[in-house]
Amino acid sequence: MTLSRRLLLAAAAALPATRAFAADPIMIGVSGPLTGPNAQYGAQWKRGFDLALDGINGAGGIKGRPLQYRFEDSQSDPRQSVAVAQKLVADPSIIIELGDFSSPASMAASPIYQRAKLVQFGFTNSHPDFTKGGDHMWSNSTNQAEEQPRLAEFAAKLGFKKPAVLHLNTDWGRTAKDAFVKAAPGLGMEVTTAEAYLSAEQDFRPTLVRARDSKADGLVLLSYYADGALISRQARDTGLALPILAGTSNYSPKFIELGGAGVEGDFVMSTFFPGDPRPEVQDFVKRYQSKYDQEPDSFSAGSYDTMMLVAALCEQYGTTREAMQTGLTEIRDVPSVVYGKVNFDPTTRRVPGASYRLLLVKGGKFTVWDGSKVAAG
Amino acid sequence: MSSWLDYTINGLIIGNIYALLAVGLALIFGVSHLINFAHGSVYAVGAYIGWACFNYLHLPLPLTALVVVIVCAALGMVIERLGLRPLAGAPRIAPLLATIGISLVLDQLLQIIFTPDPRALPSPLPAWRIHVGGGTIGALDILIAATGIGSAAVLFGFLRFTKLGWAVRATAQDRDAARQMGVDTDAVNRTVFAIASALGGLSGLLVGMYFNHIDPAMSFQATLKGVVAQVIGGMGNVPGAIAGSLLLGLTESYGVALFGSSYRNLFSFALLLLILVLRPNGLFASRRATPPEPMTGTFIAPSKVLRVPPWLVVASVVVAALLPLVPNIPYALQVLTNAWLAAMLAISLTLVAGTLGQVSLGHAALLLIGAYASALLALDAGWPVWASIPAAGVLTALIGTALVAPAFRLRSHYVSIATLGIGEIVGLVILNWESLTRGPMGVTNIPTLAIGTLELDSPQASYWACLAILVVLALMQARVLRSHLGRTFRAIRDDDVAARAYGISLDRYKGIAFAVGGFSAGIAGGVSAHLYSYINNETFTSTVSISALTMVILGGMGNLLGAILGAVALTALPELFRGTAEYRMLIYGLALLLLIRFRPQGVLGTV
Repeated sequence: MTLSRRLLLAAAAALPATRAFAADPIMIGVSGPLTGPNAQYGAQWKRGFDLALDGINGAGGIKGRPLQYRFEDSQSDPRQSVAVAQKLVADPSIIIELGDFSSPASMAASPIYQRAKLVQFGFTNSHPDFTKGGDHMWSNSTNQAEEQPRLAEFAAKLGFKKPAVLHLNTDWGRTAKDAFVKAAPGLGMEVTTAEAYLSAEQDFRPTLVRARDSKADGLVLLSYYADGALISRQARDTGLALPILAGTSNYSPKFIELGGAGVEGDFVMSTFFPGDPRPEVQDFVKRYQSKYDQEPDSFSAGSYDTMMLVAALCEQYGTTREAMQTGLTEIRDVPSVVYGKVNFDPTTRRVPGASYRLLLVKGGKFTVWDGSKVAAG
Repeated sequence: MSSWLDYTINGLIIGNIYALLAVGLALIFGVSHLINFAHGSVYAVGAYIGWACFNYLHLPLPLTALVVVIVCAALGMVIERLGLRPLAGAPRIAPLLATIGISLVLDQLLQIIFTPDPRALPSPLPAWRIHVGGGTIGALDILIAATGIGSAAVLFGFLRFTKLGWAVRATAQDRDAARQMGVDTDAVNRTVFAIASALGGLSGLLVGMYFNHIDPAMSFQATLKGVVAQVIGGMGNVPGAIAGSLLLGLTESYGVALFGSSYRNLFSFALLLLILVLRPNGLFASRRATPPEPMTGTFIAPSKVLRVPPWLVVASVVVAALLPLVPNIPYALQVLTNAWLAAMLAISLTLVAGTLGQVSLGHAALLLIGAYASALLALDAGWPVWASIPAAGVLTALIGTALVAPAFRLRSHYVSIATLGIGEIVGLVILNWESLTRGPMGVTNIPTLAIGTLELDSPQASYWACLAILVVLALMQARVLRSHLGRTFRAIRDDDVAARAYGISLDRYKGIAFAVGGFSAGIAGGVSAHLYSYINNETFTSTVSISALTMVILGGMGNLLGAILGAVALTALPELFRGTAEYRMLIYGLALLLLIRFRPQGVLGTV
């Protein structure tokens, strides 16, 4: 008894925003990487979660109860994510689970969550089969079947006729590439080559020679921000002057920091933008900048949105596991940074209708693209 | 046609970078016959020190480089003093595990101090570039090449013309003889670690600037590429390391040119295997060089075995079997289920690494083969799970043995590096062989464990299933170890020349051992696939191979019960430290270092 009280006190001290609450907290389980090679994404998640909780708990929590999360480190490793799943499932105070990061880790744990009827909310899980793991698997990750045609539209608008696609050779990159290649012909584009690269890759010079030799008139990067920045830099270093269009996961201040002058003039598609007049975006971006002294990126936006969604579910449907499941099927028009308004499709358990805009890196900053075409060079 | 010039230049540029890493690894290997897994971590530390010097102290590049060199040299000496010297009398495998532990600790420290986010490390060098063919070469490329070649030249001169250099070479040839001749071998080791680590840190700084990207996870890839490069050049051969690195860079670049980026590492590891099989001493070993010393047995030191009384083993199994009757402990059961699966891999590895003396660094590949075999048999061929899992075990035994067969003629470290390469190749083939394996999308909807129509999907049922399989596999292996096979394996391990002289066909018995081991590992992979319901090429990575090896060393090489104990301990430890969140792997690394420091022959002792 004393031990658990001390733990509670310690937890309360660690989360200053919740110190004022007397009521029991509402607990959310998180399974994700805090250590290991993907730890940077777990760190981004935490920033988004904490920012959302500052707002939620600062405004009195959920009917007087603070909302809290317990982050269990899985290193994005299926062996550990299944253990974490059993741990979270066995803890009756956990009402919903968020994560994991990679598909192997997330989908290995799905059967456990499904059997326990605990919602597994995989907010980075774009694998098309993730939500097919059972009716308790939900995701608000942007749908590649919907996102890539939009990226292709932007490519066409920029004047690309023969783009070369460079994509991460993972389930995510592959899904994205297939969707892009499928959408291209309808927009009058012919993909000259699709180059898959390994996730630990850092040297893209030979790959870029291949893209150049395919006679492409533009590069499309289906990459994460760190590799996207490397590719763009090395393209410029080797004197390749093709215009570059990068997908949403490249939208991060790190893309500019790591890319330096090498990403100047690159186009990046994003679901939000600091100058966006939507109030939820303004609120998110301003508070994020003042709390962390950096601009948010697509990963922290996803985790922020997810936490806000959970708060809305608790507010409207109650704080039980069943309430989360019914809430997700019924909830309408939740304000969201990524989507504007979140509405789940109850059959796919995903969210359609993300809004996209095209940004241009100009003077070391993301600016909104003014609509002018680029001369292929 | 001009593209080939571009591919050549790009290959040389990246080879240049590998050279920086390979030279340091070659130096350490040349003297202490140790694959220094901490080298990549020192490289990452160098990069971060450089970043801190630029950002906080605003030092110019030469001063920053000097700080990096000094700090990393000191770090190298600390690694030698704390991690390796205390293990001088321990089995040869112990220092290897120590470097793995040190690497874990350093990487975690970086992650905690500097956050896991990648950081930019902008180069302060002028931005001019020379156009060559369709590409360009910049000031940094030239600096990197100058550092690599310059340091190799200085080292070459140092080893050839200075007294300390002679001492280093004498120590490399025969440590005991050198010591008898009055060489302070500790001082030699310290010097070697200081030089190699200074070079490692400097490469971290330069490579970080080259990519304008540093992150704490950069260390493992660096070690991997550095090891491959130095093996191609000849292990321990410093000038050879440079040539090997350039060759590696070229091979990768041409490989990408021909087949695309996804095949890049496939080419580097295929080159590695080719060199190992055809010229195990490296491309640049002189023809007159003596063949590699028979080092079999040197990994294993005889030690007093801790005898576990049979009744205790039986009692432990009974307790383990009764555990699921305790209500409401699904988490503990899941952790132990993971431990049983890890133990199946560990007993497989302890057989080939401990009993046979062939230390494999690619054992996770057997899990992948088993997992894919069982999953695809169940899904595509419609086999029931109870049949697909044993079939996966047999298939893994066959495929695994066939893959490793070309490496049978290799000895000691060469076996480890060959298996490391084979392991990576298996993962890459699975990624790229889409028509069979579904490529990066992985295999979904794998049916759960079942016997007939009885689905074993509760935590209790899968726990019992895994425990039962482990007990059967362990009994089978104990039987093998007690038979003439076990004695033959140990004979090959202890002295392969004597064994051959006695009429033992080495290849045949190595094949049998790998087949028995492959069967257990394949079963473990197959069971995992059905428990996870989804697998892809990243489900079992090289970190799994490394952790399996730590389990085996920790339990005592060749010790069956030790391997199981090691698996349980190393699966449970990170879970016990879960409350410490970001610090958990740091504590795990420290615990590993302490265990190896005070019980280098393993908890239950080497058999």
